[in-house]
Amino acid sequence: MKKQRCSEKINLFDLLSEEIVFIILDCLNTNPFDKKSFSLVCKSFYITESKHRKKLKPLRQEHLPAVLIRYSNTTHLDLSLCPRINDHSLFAISKITSFTLQSIDLSRSWGFSSSGLLSLTLSCKNLKEIDISNAVSLKDAGAAALAEAKNLEKLWMGRCKMVTDMGVGCIAVGCKNLKLISLKWCLGVGDLGVGLIAVKCKEIRSLDLSYLPITNKCLPSILKLQHLEDLILEGCFGIDDCSLAALKHRCKSLKVLDMSSCQNISHLGLSSLTSSIGGLQQLTLAHGSPVTLSIANGLKKLSMLQSIKLDGSVVTRAGLKAIGDWCVSLKELSLSKCDGVTDEGLSYVATKHRDLRKLDITCCRKISDVSITHVTSSCTGLTSLRMESCTLVPREAFVLIGQRCRFLEELDLTDNEIDDEGLKSISRCSKLSVLKLGICLNITDGGLAHVGMCCSKLKELDLYRCVGIMDSGILTIACGCPDLEMINIAYLKDITDSSLLSLSKCSRLNTFESRGCPLITSLGLAAIAVGCKQLIKLDIKWCHNINDVGMLPLAHFSQNLRQINLSYTSVTDVGLLSLASISCLQNMTILHVKGLSPNGLAAALLACGGITKVKLQAAFKQLLPQPLIDHLQARGCVFQWRNKVFQVLHEN
Amino acid sequence: MDLKEGLRAETWAKSSLAENEMSKRISSNNPCFTDFNSQQYQQKWEDPSILDYDIRINPAFQEFNQPPQNQSSLPCDPTNQIKNPFQMNENLQTNKMQDWDPKAMLNNLSFLEQKIHELQDLVHLIVGRRSQILGRPDELVAQQQQLITADLTSIIVQLISTAGSLLPSMKHTLSAATPSMGQLGQFGGVPFPPGAGLSDSIQVQNSCAKKVSNQSNPIDLVGNSGTQQNHAVEEHDLKDEDDADDGEQLPPGSYEILQLEKEEILAPHTHFCTICGKGFKRDANLRMHMRGHGDEYKTPAALAKPHKESSSEPMLIKRYSCPYAGCKRNKDHKKFQPLKTILCVKNHYKRTHCDKSYVCSRCNTKKFSVIADLKTHEKHCGKDKWLCSCGTTFSRKDKLFGHIALFQGHTPAIPLDETIKGLAGPSDRREGNEATSKIGSTNFNFGSSVPNGTGVSDMDAKGES
Repeated sequence: MKKQRCSEKINLFDLLSEEIVFIILDCLNTNPFDKKSFSLVCKSFYITESKHRKKLKPLRQEHLPAVLIRYSNTTHLDLSLCPRINDHSLFAISKITSFTLQSIDLSRSWGFSSSGLLSLTLSCKNLKEIDISNAVSLKDAGAAALAEAKNLEKLWMGRCKMVTDMGVGCIAVGCKNLKLISLKWCLGVGDLGVGLIAVKCKEIRSLDLSYLPITNKCLPSILKLQHLEDLILEGCFGIDDCSLAALKHRCKSLKVLDMSSCQNISHLGLSSLTSSIGGLQQLTLAHGSPVTLSIANGLKKLSMLQSIKLDGSVVTRAGLKAIGDWCVSLKELSLSKCDGVTDEGLSYVATKHRDLRKLDITCCRKISDVSITHVTSSCTGLTSLRMESCTLVPREAFVLIGQRCRFLEELDLTDNEIDDEGLKSISRCSKLSVLKLGICLNITDGGLAHVGMCCSKLKELDLYRCVGIMDSGILTIACGCPDLEMINIAYLKDITDSSLLSLSKCSRLNTFESRGCPLITSLGLAAIAVGCKQLIKLDIKWCHNINDVGMLPLAHFSQNLRQINLSYTSVTDVGLLSLASISCLQNMTILHVKGLSPNGLAAALLACGGITKVKLQAAFKQLLPQPLIDHLQARGCVFQWRNKVFQVLHEN
Repeated sequence: MDLKEGLRAETWAKSSLAENEMSKRISSNNPCFTDFNSQQYQQKWEDPSILDYDIRINPAFQEFNQPPQNQSSLPCDPTNQIKNPFQMNENLQTNKMQDWDPKAMLNNLSFLEQKIHELQDLVHLIVGRRSQILGRPDELVAQQQQLITADLTSIIVQLISTAGSLLPSMKHTLSAATPSMGQLGQFGGVPFPPGAGLSDSIQVQNSCAKKVSNQSNPIDLVGNSGTQQNHAVEEHDLKDEDDADDGEQLPPGSYEILQLEKEEILAPHTHFCTICGKGFKRDANLRMHMRGHGDEYKTPAALAKPHKESSSEPMLIKRYSCPYAGCKRNKDHKKFQPLKTILCVKNHYKRTHCDKSYVCSRCNTKKFSVIADLKTHEKHCGKDKWLCSCGTTFSRKDKLFGHIALFQGHTPAIPLDETIKGLAGPSDRREGNEATSKIGSTNFNFGSSVPNGTGVSDMDAKGES
């Protein structure tokens, strides 16, 4: 569209002020290539686009300096596609963007040292956000370098396992304005470091202390934080009832609390905690102690509570009833994988909490149509219902869902008894965007056709092993749901290229899984590649008929592809090598590809500059030269050697 | 004979300030007291050694009568007069610096009360004596008068200075006025007892020379003094000197302040053998040493710890001042804080005002001036690994964090070796995982750690389910 306008009357654009062009550019968000096309029109467009762009997600560190010079207004730098960022790159970043850079994401990168970080934090004075998660070899010196970012507000450092209290202490002293810090899995950090954060960083809003070896000692100072809203204490085994009972401070600001997997906390600790944090809105107690009457009564005091998640806990009938008796009206209830959820309890809860928006009853295998009847009749405003593997629910019950819960946006019916009648009913939920029907063996094309016709906003559709679905069903979906982004047709053995041809019209498709569809050929894949240019994730395992002919268009058109599974296909060296032209390809699984030679594999791997992870048959380890493996590892590639036995796709 | 007498006279001149005048010594070989006692001559004949002579003559003098002492009291005046005003001035100067302390005031008042009581006793005594010995020469009366005047003077001085401490503006004028008062009233000279001068001349000389040793001497005097009057007079003397210390130094009150000289503090030994001169740090060691010099030192009495004087007078608490001017532990300091024991003085002086010459052999950075400190440090040198940016080290991490929490701007200091190593990069992690993947094919958990890993592994899991 832009191209046309520009080619017709270039002069018109000279009349437009830069601000107006910027506003137009703001709207070009859907396809990452739109802006690229825009910038390639002419010099002035090129300059305008380079001034407009604020967020950068580069693919290679080699080009970083040039890219940064071109986009001089970059405030947000996402390096998650660069597996390797060395100190030189960080020096370059700190030099070029010293005044503009506000946010940097290094969570997927490695290869830099504390000196690189130091130069970054010293020169980029406006840096407000740093994500350095997964820097498992970052030590206290690196943390001390981070502490030089005096204006830092958000810091994610999950899984920085080598950082100790000393490093966190430096950050606590250096970054006074911290509002968010995530220390998840920083196993070296204990009470002292966390306590110092609480003492020094008074602005903290969000604190993630999951799986830290902290005990009761740091809790009082944490709860003294004036602005703390979000506290995650998942898997903190060191916190127990005694400590919570001793808490005297009232933390009025706290809104979200996650105490999942805190095994040493019973109802006693919880009730003392809830009495000190009355303003809580969201509480997560997944995998905790059994939800009994006493726990539910202890939570009664939380008058502001809107959401509670009890995933994986044992729930008693009395406990559920007590939850139902709360005076507050819950908006979200998650009972996923909870043992002991019965029709009686769930029905009671559902009738009491009529404002429920989200309900998760995944794997509550004891519930039947009674529960569904009550849930659908009282909670008509449900937007999300997840009920995977509720195997006792009969097919008739699903009709009720469609009839009564018209506002559903997300529905997970994986592994259920739903049939075409149910699907027809569900198709009335016109806002539906996520529909998961995996292993629903009773549905056929007829039912799916209703969904395809009515649910035009569908974005995700999971038809994994829905053996009743054939090409016509997919055709209706492809025609009726133009916004489709993700589709899983794995193990639909009757699917042919015609489905793929129809799906190629869904231009926003980014995830396509067609594993185990033996009838699909390279032709179909080529159609997908041409039509769905935003494809990111592709799984064509066990598609025996796909060969190099399919790879060539893929390599040419799917320039956004990042992940591909080629196992058990007929691809050879040529096809694999052609994939190397996809610059952002990061992740490949290549098991039991017969046509592949060690030399071809080596060449392909060498050519794929951005590869970070490759899963290979273990036999290749001996066949590939060790220097090559070393070289690739040095570039940031991880090899996963698999020793899987050759399997034949079972015909169902 | 002449030579010997001359020698003897010289000894006297040296040892007894009270007794000798230069003119007398020059004019005649005979000492002034030959008139009163012939025993002396006998002794002289008998004893060839001067040392012996001194020792023997002392007890003899103690038994002497009063009159000759009175006569000889005047010659000793000049030295005392010189000494006392000087002391007073010194004390007054310190005085100016100090602020008013109610506690000290109370102490001073009780001290005054005690003093008046003593004076009362003395007058009682004089009255009693007067009734006993009627035929006394006039000099005795004059001396008694002088004694009482001196006591009264000192009481008045103390009273004025105590009152003066209440008025800050008064202080200056007071300090200027008092010395002259002391001189006018023969403050220093009169109370200095002639008896003391006679009986324990050597000690008196000491008292003039050194203040510190002076403090302990009066106790000896009390023990040795033969007559009741002597005792009273000597006590008065002690008080008088204390007055000079305490009365002018308003706040301390309850304790007396001693100040050792630098050389004394730094002296390696404090106890010396009188026979061979060997020095010892401890009195007990000296006593052990003394056993080698003869059987008389082996008696239980000689070996026993010298017991404290059981004086009827309540002992004043002793506190010490550091000789270093400007030090907070120096008595001239505005906010003077006394040191409790001599050991405290020694350690304080070495730690604060001396070079730190003992270097830790392990770290080669920490220096100490007291060897015990070095030894304490060496016990845990290298264990202090918790370091603050201010340079303070801690043996415990929680102490460091407490310190950092307390002070603004202090941060934990990361050890240097770590900063050099820095970030090796996750390559080691990846290698490690590679190793695990070799072992088994079931390590899906790794997938979650690496970008987009979950998807694939999930798919795999699903595919096989």
